Amino acid sequence: MGIPTVFITALPTIAQMVGANRVVRGVAITYPTGDPSLSAGDELALRVRILDRAVDMLATDVAPRTVWEIDG
Amino acid sequence: MTVIHYVNQFFAGLGGEEAADHEPVRFDGPQGPGRALVAAGLPIDLTVACGDDRFALHEADCLATLLTWIEDAGADVVVCGPSFGSGRYGYACGVLARELGRRGTAVVAAMTPDSPGVLASEGAAYIVPTTAHVAGMRDAVPLVASLASRLASGEPVGSPEEEGYLPRGLRVNIRSDELGAERAIGLVLAKLAGDVRTEIAPPTDRVAPPDPLPDPSTALVALVTEAGCVPQGNPDRLPTRHANVWLRYPIGDRAELAPEDYVSVHAGFDTTEANRDPDRLVPLDAARALVAAGRLGQIYDEFFTTTGVDTPVAVSTRMGQEIGVELRNAGVDAVILTGT
Repeated sequence: MGIPTVFITALPTIAQMVGANRVVRGVAITYPTGDPSLSAGDELALRVRILDRAVDMLATDVAPRTVWEIDG
Repeated sequence: MTVIHYVNQFFAGLGGEEAADHEPVRFDGPQGPGRALVAAGLPIDLTVACGDDRFALHEADCLATLLTWIEDAGADVVVCGPSFGSGRYGYACGVLARELGRRGTAVVAAMTPDSPGVLASEGAAYIVPTTAHVAGMRDAVPLVASLASRLASGEPVGSPEEEGYLPRGLRVNIRSDELGAERAIGLVLAKLAGDVRTEIAPPTDRVAPPDPLPDPSTALVALVTEAGCVPQGNPDRLPTRHANVWLRYPIGDRAELAPEDYVSVHAGFDTTEANRDPDRLVPLDAARALVAAGRLGQIYDEFFTTTGVDTPVAVSTRMGQEIGVELRNAGVDAVILTGT
């Protein structure tokens, strides 16, 4: 039951507190899936990496309220 | 000060179940339990009433009538109930409280803590907990009258612990004379003595992790965000804070969320960098890249959005459930949710 959901957020402790089960730590509060300090190409590569990680998590059996780093 | 009292058909003296379809009606002065509120020092200027079934079956029409009457009278405070353990009456009280709260009117209600009205009120009302039966009237009335009097005259109201009303799901900053370390030690000592307390009560809604995707390369994945991303110009007027609605926007065959097309209206963070490239909030370009690489099946052709700032947990829960139903009906297999 339920739809597997991965939450990308820079505030994983709050995500855990409210009960999110699949959490990937985002880059920053103001840009969870980006980094303005990078070149456009590098930023897109980072974003793809974050989402690739998120997809891995969607396909993984996890314990409640699990948090993954971008590069785990 | 103008005080308005909402009651159902029974407490308005219109009848029992046979009168449950009674249309909204208003009376000058108090009716039924309103007289007890008057005796407790709360003058009731106007009583508005509605049958429980009528409200449940024609909610929008009944609400519109009741809200018009209440606004015309210029209420400083509205009292709903007590509705005790009655589900329909409690629900009507909660919905009316929520709508009045959105319009900036103070509301005091009274019902059992597990009444559907508590959730329906979405934290808008000061709700005095009661017993399930009308025998609890005697205990509820003084507290209801006291809270309502102070709210109407703009006097401060203390915390749920001090006053005895149900927590509204809000966090209120207060200045303490004690250092954090002293308060922490106080909590530890209290816990050792068997009194488990907290300054910030976390919600305890827990669901088990849904089963993982068997094969992402065939999955239909939806993008959802609370980052307040909307089309430029915010055509549907998503609130920048206190949002109680979510919206959905088609993404069709867009490759990315371009800054000339999308903007975040979120009032809870500095959106400058995100608005230079909204993919920093809703990562459509990267999701497309994963589809192109065969890593994901498809991206659902709408994204879902709201602003998550100053949002009570009850409202967030409701919006999550509503979006979940839409996604389920659309055959979506998984969600990538971004938060700020």
